[in-house]
Amino acid sequence: MQRMIPVERLAREDRMVLMRARKAREIREEQNLDDRVLPFDEEALRARMHGIFCGEVQAMEAAGRTLFDFPDAPWEFQLDMARQVWDESRHTEIFEGLLAYMGAEPGDYVETEVLWRCTQAADPAARVAGINRGLEGLACDVFEQLIRIAQKNGDEVIERAVDYVLADEITHVRMGSNWLRKLTEGDPERLKRAQEFQESIDEVFSFRGTRRAIEDVRDGNENIITIAREARMLAGFSEEEIERLIAASRKSAAY
Amino acid sequence: MGDLGDRVNVMGPQPMAKRSEIPAAMLEAARRVLEGLAAGDATGLAALAVPSGAGELAAVAAAVMPGTYDQHRIIATARINDHHYVKARLHGPRTEAFTVQFRLGEYAGEWRVWEAMNLTGKRGAWAR
Repeated sequence: MQRMIPVERLAREDRMVLMRARKAREIREEQNLDDRVLPFDEEALRARMHGIFCGEVQAMEAAGRTLFDFPDAPWEFQLDMARQVWDESRHTEIFEGLLAYMGAEPGDYVETEVLWRCTQAADPAARVAGINRGLEGLACDVFEQLIRIAQKNGDEVIERAVDYVLADEITHVRMGSNWLRKLTEGDPERLKRAQEFQESIDEVFSFRGTRRAIEDVRDGNENIITIAREARMLAGFSEEEIERLIAASRKSAAY
Repeated sequence: MGDLGDRVNVMGPQPMAKRSEIPAAMLEAARRVLEGLAAGDATGLAALAVPSGAGELAAVAAAVMPGTYDQHRIIATARINDHHYVKARLHGPRTEAFTVQFRLGEYAGEWRVWEAMNLTGKRGAWAR
């Protein structure tokens, strides 16, 4: 079995249409439909929910690939990755349920490859930095926003379901923080490379001002993903790291 | 947001929103594209594409041997805002299926092809 599989080799059901995130964004911009905004537009919320469903599938695949790609990693590391596969598979089912709740099905919207593309690191330390701290950290941001939207809409189903998932994501980020430290103990160069890989992922998601500090969001604009300071602190992010994320979001061209 | 429906006799919440209908006119346009491909109707297909998508659709059409396929089946429809990707297979009695994916969107009041690609014989998620 091949290690480090590229996105075009991910298996998908026929009903899924997978494409590059950049292309999907260009098609959205081409249509110039700015009036469809969260939190009140059902279609926008459905599309967001579908995006998260696809993200959970790719997160499950990513944790599984980490388990497979690094057979010589410590046994406890492998156990954590196996647990994460299980968690992500439950999340996939939860979001499939939320999609049905919203009147949609997997495949109703396109799936983009951006999360999988972010997993391609040959060192397990970089892999957990990128996936567990970068992508799962992003999940904390996205879910906190979704919970806030659900609260505004008075929707307890979405609010509670996403809150359960968020609790797992915090654990995954914490796992990443622990393994990043353990795997790079006594090797500052390796730590630096892993952190740089994570920062490159953080930059992808701060790009174009789509993620900001909550104090930088004007008029309660719920289309902007805010940095989940409290969840990230619970997950082992330092104040300095969070400030660095905020600074990166402020540097983005659209801000 | 709507209410959660009548939940007395069911497990879990009822759908709170109706499924977005796939526009019938879009499906009709998809049918015409697939029939045009099967028939090798280059002129008819050209009329179904926006100017920027005509080349790609013609390239897909050139890969189809006319008269080989007598059935078609849509296997996926995925939205990006108001544009819809359609993934479909052409089937014939004596050959492997031909897989095509195209994007339909409204243009001058009609559903037209904005891009098209031949996914036949390719492996992986981009291809199935």
